[in-house]
Amino acid sequence: MEKILLKTESLSKSFSGGGILQHVLKNIDLELYQGDFTVIMGASGAGKSTLLYALSGMDTPSLGRITFGGRVISDLTPDGLAVFRREHCGFVFQQIYLIDGMSVMDNVLAAGLLVSRDKKALVRRAEELFRAVDIPPEIQRKFPTQLSGGEAQRVGIVRALINTPEILFADEPTGALNSKTGLDVLDTLTRFNDSGQSVVMVTHDVRSARRGNRILYLKDGAILGDCRLGKYVHGDKERHGKLAAFLEEMGW
Amino acid sequence: MGSWRLFWKKWGGSVMRKSIIFAGSNIRRAKGQTAAVAVLAFLAALMLNLWLMLAMDYKQNFDRCHDRLNAEHAIVVITDEDSGVRDCLAEAAEQDGRTKEYSIENVLLMAGSLPYNDGEVNSNFVFLEKEAALGRSVGKIEIVEDSSFTSGIYLPMLYKTGDVVVGKPVRISLSGQDVEFTVCGFFNSAMAGSHNCSMAEMILTGDAYESLAATGAVYNAVMCSVRITDKTKSEDYAAMLSNAVSAQYPGGFGVATSYALVTTSRYISQMIASSVISAMAFLVLMIALIVMASNIVNYIQENMRDLGALKAVGYTSGQLAGALLLQFLGIWLVVALLGIGAAYCLFPGVNSMMIAQTGIPYEIHFLPLPALLTLVLLEGAVCLAVWLVCRRIKGIDPIAALRSGVQTHSFKRNFVPLERARAPLNLALALKTMLSGMKQNVTVCVTMLVLSLIIVFSGVMIENFIRDSTSAINLIVGETADSCISIPAEKEEEFLRAMEADDRVEKIYLYNSLSVWHEGGAELMATLCDDFSQVNNSDVCFEGRFPKYDNEVAVAMKYAGEKKMKIGDEITLETGGRKGVYIITGYTQITNNLGKDCLLTREGYERLEKLQNLNYYLNLREGVSGAEFNEDVASRIDVNIYIDIGSVLEGATAVYISLMQAIVIAVLFLSLIIIIFVLYLIIRNLLSAKKREYGILKALGYTTGQLILQTALSFMPTVMISVIVGTVLSCFGINPLLSGFMSGLGIVKCTFIVPAGFTLAAGAGLVLATFLFACLLSLRIRNIAPKGLLTGE
Repeated sequence: MEKILLKTESLSKSFSGGGILQHVLKNIDLELYQGDFTVIMGASGAGKSTLLYALSGMDTPSLGRITFGGRVISDLTPDGLAVFRREHCGFVFQQIYLIDGMSVMDNVLAAGLLVSRDKKALVRRAEELFRAVDIPPEIQRKFPTQLSGGEAQRVGIVRALINTPEILFADEPTGALNSKTGLDVLDTLTRFNDSGQSVVMVTHDVRSARRGNRILYLKDGAILGDCRLGKYVHGDKERHGKLAAFLEEMGW
Repeated sequence: MGSWRLFWKKWGGSVMRKSIIFAGSNIRRAKGQTAAVAVLAFLAALMLNLWLMLAMDYKQNFDRCHDRLNAEHAIVVITDEDSGVRDCLAEAAEQDGRTKEYSIENVLLMAGSLPYNDGEVNSNFVFLEKEAALGRSVGKIEIVEDSSFTSGIYLPMLYKTGDVVVGKPVRISLSGQDVEFTVCGFFNSAMAGSHNCSMAEMILTGDAYESLAATGAVYNAVMCSVRITDKTKSEDYAAMLSNAVSAQYPGGFGVATSYALVTTSRYISQMIASSVISAMAFLVLMIALIVMASNIVNYIQENMRDLGALKAVGYTSGQLAGALLLQFLGIWLVVALLGIGAAYCLFPGVNSMMIAQTGIPYEIHFLPLPALLTLVLLEGAVCLAVWLVCRRIKGIDPIAALRSGVQTHSFKRNFVPLERARAPLNLALALKTMLSGMKQNVTVCVTMLVLSLIIVFSGVMIENFIRDSTSAINLIVGETADSCISIPAEKEEEFLRAMEADDRVEKIYLYNSLSVWHEGGAELMATLCDDFSQVNNSDVCFEGRFPKYDNEVAVAMKYAGEKKMKIGDEITLETGGRKGVYIITGYTQITNNLGKDCLLTREGYERLEKLQNLNYYLNLREGVSGAEFNEDVASRIDVNIYIDIGSVLEGATAVYISLMQAIVIAVLFLSLIIIIFVLYLIIRNLLSAKKREYGILKALGYTTGQLILQTALSFMPTVMISVIVGTVLSCFGINPLLSGFMSGLGIVKCTFIVPAGFTLAAGAGLVLATFLFACLLSLRIRNIAPKGLLTGE
C-alpha cells in the first residue's frame, strides 16, 4: 500500500488580468505518493508550473484543497506556507537561483539553518551531499558566479536537500543546462530518488521524463493522463516504448 | 550665427531630445526615489533661501531704516548740572573731522524699568518732548501707531507687548519712584528703540514731559546726536565724545551708544537663527546630495545591461550622463523654486520672532539675489555630484555589460561566513547585507552623524535656554542675582548696616558698570566689584583669574585677541581725566558689550575716579520676593533705583527662549523628515537590489517577518556606531562649535551644559526610531512573492 504524501481535491487556479479571467487549473484531484519520482508533462501553457507552485506551497489555489501528510496546507497564510516549505519541501529551479552574494556553502547553510540549529551536523550533512553530487571542497568556498551551470545546479540540489525534505520539487532542472551537464543532474536526482527521496519534476523533455516512475500529462489545466512506468532502469527499451506510447496517446 | 544654429540643430537639439526622453523614462521608473530626493532638495532650498534672506537683507533693513530716519552713528547723553556740558559736547563734535552732522537737545535721563514680555526690562531711559522729538533733523522719529490721546507717552515699537497697548496706562519705575502714563502710540527709532542699545528713547507729550521733570525722579540732561562720515568708526567716536565730557565734568552721569553696538545687539536673534538655519541648510543639502548620488549609483548598477545596450548602439557616455544630469537638474530646479516660494511663506513667522528683538518692522518683499544664489548653489552642487558619480558610466564596456559580465558587487570576500558565524541566523544575514553595502553604510553614517549633532544641539538648547536658562543668561547677561539696588555713595554705610541686619539677605556685593577708555584702544565697559569671589557667575572670567588688587584688570578675550594682549601685559585705562596702569590677570566673555569689556576691583577703579553711585547685587533667601524686598528697602532707605532682576531676566530672555523653542522644534521636525526620507530611499534601493535574493529566500522558507527583521537589522550596526561616535564627538564639539557661531558677540568659549540624560535617551530614541522606521518601510517585502521568481515578475 503506497503512502499518500500530497493530495489535492478539486484544485483550481484562475488568473485575472485586463478584464479576462483565465482558468489555468481546473478541478484537479490528485494523489502523490511517498518515494515516487513524479513527472508533470504537458505543452506550454498547460498549467504544469502552476500546478507545481500550488503543490509546493509557493502559491495558493483559487479553489479546492491541498493536504500534505493529512494536514491542509491550502488554507495557510503566506508565512505558514513559508514554514511548510522550509520544513517539508526542497526546490530545484530551472534558473538555479543561488544567491550571488553568498558563497556556495553559505547558500546551502542559509536554507539549512532555518530548520536546524545544530550547525556542526548541518555542515557535515552539507559536505556529504556535496560529495554525493561531486562538488569538491574548493568549490564550496566559491561564489555562484564562479561556477559552471552544471556545478551551480548541483549546488542547487544540495541546497534543496539540506533539510532532508519529504518532497523535492524540480521545475525544469535541466532547462538551462547543456546535454552532458543535464544528464549529470538527472543522474543525481535519480540517485536520490533511488534512496527514497520523493521527487516531483516538471519538464517538457522526454529524456528527463524517462527518469520518473509516474508521468502526469496536463492539458488545458486538467490531468489528461496518468502513466505508471515503474522504477527507472538505464537502457530499458520496453519502459521507453511505454512512455513514448503514452505521450503519443496524449497528443505530444 | 548660421553655423551655430546648424550645430544646435544637428547636435544640441538631438542630444537634448534624447536626453529628455531618457530623463522622463528614468523618472517614471523611479517615482518614489525621485519624490524622496525632491523632498530633501526642497528642504535644502527652503532653508538656504531663508538663510540668505536673513543674512543678505534682514540686517540691511536696519541700514535702510537708519538712512530713512537720518539716524545717528553716535549718541551721548550726559546730565547737565553744569551748563558747560552742552558747549563741551558741541566743541568736541565741531573739532572732530569725522563729524558730518550733529544736534544737541535737552532731555530727561534716568535708569529704570518697564513691563516687557510678562516681565520687566531695565535700561537707561531718555525722555524727549514730543514736538522737539518730531522736529529733529538727526535721528528722526517715525510714529508707526498714533492715537487721539493728547497726554501721555509714545514708546518704541519693541515694547508693544502684553498689556502695553495704546490707550492703556504703563507704569515706569524710575529712581525708586513709579510714574504712570497713558500709552499714546508707538514709534520707530533706529538707534535708541531698544534696551539692547544701552539706552531707550521715550517720547512724552508736552504736559507729561513737564510733569515728569517736576517729580525729581529724573536728571535733566543733554543729548548729542551725531552722524559721522565713516560709520565703522562709530564706537571710537562715541568714546571720544564721552571722554571729552568726562575729562572736564567727571561727576556727570552719562550713557552712550554707537552704530556698531546697536547693529550687533539688535540682531543677536537674527544672527543665532541665521547661523542655525545655514548650518541645517548645508547639512540637509549634503544629505540630499549623498542620497541622490547613491540613487544614481544604484541606477547605474541596476541598469548596467540597458546602459551597455545603449552604448552598443552608439550612445556616448556623455549622452548617458547628460540624461541623468538633465533629469536631476530639472527636478532640483522645480523643487528649488518651490522651496524658495515656501521660504516666503515661512518668513512672516521667522520675522515675527526676530522683530521681538530688533524692534524694527521688516516689510517682506521678493529678494532676487538670495533666490538666484539658492538656485545657483543647488544646481551647481547637483552638477558636481552627478559628474562625480557618472564617471563610472565611462567604465562600462558594452560587450561585458550585455553579457551581464559586469557584476554589481565585488564578491572577493565572503562576509560573515555562516559556517563560522556565532550570531543568530537573521543577524548573520543582516551583517552580510550590511558589509556588502558600503554606499548604504556611508549614507546612513553621514545621516546619523548629522542627526546626532542635531540631538546634542537640541539637548543643549533645551537644557540651557528652555529648562534652566542660567548658563545662557550667564553668557548673555553676565552676572545675575535676585535684586539690584543702586544707592548714592554717601548712603553706603547706612545701607550696608541695614542689609547686614536683614535676615532675608544671603549675600551682598558691589557690582557696578562704568565706561573707561583704554589708551591706544577703545572704550571698554568696566565692571567693578568689591570682591569677585562673591559673584554668582564665575564663568565670566574663563581664563586666568579675576582681579584681586587695585592694579589688576581682566579684559574681554575678544578685545585682547584684537589688540594682541596677553595675561601679564600692562594696559593703561583712563576716565575722568586720570590714567592708571593695570596688569591683565584674566580673560572675560559676555555678550553685553560685544567683547569690549573689562573687570576691575572697586579700589582699582577708584584709583581713577571716586564712585558717585553704587549698585549692590543681592542674593535673597529662598522664597523671598525680589519686588517686595526692593520696595521694603526703598521705603526705609533713600535709594536711587532698584531692580527685581528675576523679573527683568524673564522679560529679557523671553525672546531667546521662544526663539530657541522654535529652533529646537524645527530641527527635531527636520530630523524626523530626514530619517524617514533617507531610510525610505535606502530601503527602496536595497529592496530593489535584493528583490531576487528575497524571492529566493522566501522560496526557501524565510517568512516576511524574518526578512523585514534582517533588513532593519542590517542598518543597526552602522546606525548604532554612528550615533555613539556622533553623540560623543558632538558632546565634545558642541561648545566650540557654538563658540564659533557666537564669536561675533564676543563669546570665545561656551560652557553650556550638555544634558547627559537627554543625550543618552535621545540617542537611544534615534536608534530605536531608525529601527522602527526601517521595519515599517521594509513592509514592502510582503509584496515580494516567491512565485515571482518563477514567473519572472
